[in-house]
Amino acid sequence: MSVGHIARGFEESGISTVVIAVEPFLKRLEIMSLPRTLLTDNLIGRVLGSPHDTSYQRKVLEKAVKLLSSADKNGTVEHI
Amino acid sequence: MSENTKSPETFEEFRKSFFYGSRSDMSFKFLDHLSDEQGADFLQKLFRDVITSIDTGDTDLLKQTVLEGQAAAHAHPDTFSYSEGTFAPFTVNPADAKFTMLTSSGHYPAYNDPEPLGIKEMSQSEAERRIFDFLKEKPVLSEIPFSISPDELKVRHGGYDTRASLEDPNVTFPWQRMNELQEDGVIGRLTENGYSFIGACSQKRLMKDVIPEWIRLMKENGVDGAILIPV
Repeated sequence: MSVGHIARGFEESGISTVVIAVEPFLKRLEIMSLPRTLLTDNLIGRVLGSPHDTSYQRKVLEKAVKLLSSADKNGTVEHI
Repeated sequence: MSENTKSPETFEEFRKSFFYGSRSDMSFKFLDHLSDEQGADFLQKLFRDVITSIDTGDTDLLKQTVLEGQAAAHAHPDTFSYSEGTFAPFTVNPADAKFTMLTSSGHYPAYNDPEPLGIKEMSQSEAERRIFDFLKEKPVLSEIPFSISPDELKVRHGGYDTRASLEDPNVTFPWQRMNELQEDGVIGRLTENGYSFIGACSQKRLMKDVIPEWIRLMKENGVDGAILIPV
């Protein structure tokens, strides 16, 4: 919820954002009408997966960067 | 011999005890938000899947079951809702752009503890005990250099299970991976600092007093794109 408000504020001021969140937060994020959301199928508190899974962490961030530049409208949601 | 007049614990009381109660558990506190029937179904499936996972050695089934429970608890949010979205087009090539990262994970540098609620060296267990005090507080942003060493990076947050973050901060504050993206040219530059705060805070104070300050900070740092990670 807090990060959703930050994303909306940043976007209104012209700063592009991408939110990386776990899937259980999907409904909560959807009702905040965020511009770009990348969902991971991980437990709350483990957004980028298990500790020390560096290749997965890298993959998530690369996908987030791509989503930041490829999304052309508000409400774009992708899964990884 | 005294007579024990205490009533047997109900299933509802059992469920709710995981939410900052006698069995407080940040990974299973969602049991509080389920009905008795949902909670019973969840536990029955969890017990069944424990045995299947032992038999097969595959823990993905357990992870999926817990995920479903966490998702069910968050399926009907009754908080802030917006009918219209905001969208700032990202018009820069990522390889030429300046990025930052901001998370609600509660990370901070060991040498600059934000001392939440005015308490020095607050423990994780105290943060959990005082979660409802945090929800009234104005959030404090910790500035964390992307060059920080792992032993200088600390985490404390009364709203989620921090064990994975303690083992490897990159699961909620992936500063080392962000550095690698910069080194490999995937992104152009990073701001000097990444940012983190405790997401369990007063939403009104966040929106009214804090976000405008943080926007100014991002503008001063020339941020083109922000990776935001709610925890």
